[in-house]
Amino acid sequence: MPDILYDLFCVPIEVAPEVRAAGNPLFTEQDPLPVFGAPTPIGLNWCFQITDVRIDFHPGNTIGLPPELGALPEQRLALRMKGCFGLDCPSEDLIRDLLSAVEVLATASGRQDPSHAVTPSRGAPPWTPVILPTRKLTCFCLELFAVAHFEWGAIGAPDSQWLKLRLDGLEVVDLEPAEMEDLVECYTRTVLRLGLLPRLSQPIESMVLNLTDLLRKQGLTIGQRVTLQPAPAPAAAPHNPAVESDQLMAFINLVVEEL
Amino acid sequence: MAHMTVAVSEGVFRRSFDLLQRNLVFEKADSASFGSFTAGYDVKAHLEGGSVDLRADGTIRVKELDLRWDRLRFTLGLNIPELCVGGGCVDMPWPIPDICLPRVCIFSGDPDISISPDLVAFVAQEVSFTARLVVRYFDAALPLPSPDLCAPLRVEPPPAHNQWHIHIDPETIDVDLFDFPDIVGDLIEDALTDAVKALIPGGWVRDLILAIIGSVADLIRTILDIPDEIEEWLSDLFNVSFGLLDSIGTVILDFFSRCNPLYRMDDPLEIMPASNGLIAVRIPVRNLSVSVNDAEMVVQADVGA
Repeated sequence: MPDILYDLFCVPIEVAPEVRAAGNPLFTEQDPLPVFGAPTPIGLNWCFQITDVRIDFHPGNTIGLPPELGALPEQRLALRMKGCFGLDCPSEDLIRDLLSAVEVLATASGRQDPSHAVTPSRGAPPWTPVILPTRKLTCFCLELFAVAHFEWGAIGAPDSQWLKLRLDGLEVVDLEPAEMEDLVECYTRTVLRLGLLPRLSQPIESMVLNLTDLLRKQGLTIGQRVTLQPAPAPAAAPHNPAVESDQLMAFINLVVEEL
Repeated sequence: MAHMTVAVSEGVFRRSFDLLQRNLVFEKADSASFGSFTAGYDVKAHLEGGSVDLRADGTIRVKELDLRWDRLRFTLGLNIPELCVGGGCVDMPWPIPDICLPRVCIFSGDPDISISPDLVAFVAQEVSFTARLVVRYFDAALPLPSPDLCAPLRVEPPPAHNQWHIHIDPETIDVDLFDFPDIVGDLIEDALTDAVKALIPGGWVRDLILAIIGSVADLIRTILDIPDEIEEWLSDLFNVSFGLLDSIGTVILDFFSRCNPLYRMDDPLEIMPASNGLIAVRIPVRNLSVSVNDAEMVVQADVGA
């Protein structure tokens, strides 16, 4: 994606120079939003951003949760963020320019078998949609509130331990009608649970700031395997991980085994 | 409040120290001439056991680490002044021919004798020290010092990127003196005596030489300038003349304080690995500090810009 397009998004992104240097994309590109009913595939650019994320560990004192989520329970954290959606709404001039061609296609297809007129034949490559040129996105942002907690769990290998962030509840404030609010919340909740939060899981080693990397190497040289495991709760600690006193606390045991 | 805090229990600290100290190897060889004799050593040792105590005053006390000798070879060469007997003739009246004794010289070599016993089985020493934890920043852009005194002591090669290092910095190191038991004195004395006796021919020459030098033991003590017990002389040789105590102390100091961090942390610290063509997510670590109380070691740091 050309850099110039990044300026069109709903919320500007502050980019670390290393990301620029590596040529990493700032966005994950998705298919354009289709214009339903068009006689030929036409797509509109759009974007969805979650931004301005703020975290407040229990006891909550910087994020005021909406009544729907209630008071922040013990061992939980509150999240406040903005969910922004932007759509490239085509200008009147552009619509006018396209309209005559679309009308030809629409009426031509109307006189023929519609299935042959608007879709490629079996085995032929799908038509490339016409993506309307983007000049400006029309955006709106909703304020989202969430309650979440941390837990330990394996990812992939059963003996691996990761700290995972789990979503307990999400609320979009004052969106009408209620069914639309429910739908927006459902979609955002799904994006968070299946799209964003799994990427934030942290291996147990990083919770001790990788201090034990050297130990693991040195242990191997003398025939010992050094691993990290969550301390059992409540035997070793009342809660593990614990979210309390405005902190996230992880209690971890260093386990040394003779090889 | 610091952004990040890691508290390491005394048990984990002890385990960390144990893993690190097992990698310390002291190895040295040298020799010196003391006039009438030469002495040398070829030694190798490592550390084992001991106890580690975190203390409320911010120090750590490492007690009674066993200095285990893997090799403790001592070489002693004696350069005994040459001694010649015989060679003269007794004039006899004619026609009896003169009687001439053959000339026999011994102790003509340099050294004349050399022994090289391994004393591993006879020495046991302990090391104790009090230390503080210090934080050092390793800047990978700076060249290593030249000469690099840490090169032979480093457990891991220098990192290719910047790191915070937490070192144990001993303040005073107490190494037990070399204290060889009586049996070592007897062992060396017997070996030297046997070696000297082997150089002395038998018969009248032997009688003559022993008459001149007195006992072999006296000869050895004279050459080595040993006023008292040979084991005490040997201990003094290792402790003072060879300077091995200072060498051991220096190696322990450099190993922990300069060359091998107990803990280290990358800066920036990777919190998400690279994947699918995206670079890793790293955060800069600033203001790293370390402290100790009687229960744990506490590392604190901020996430910097």
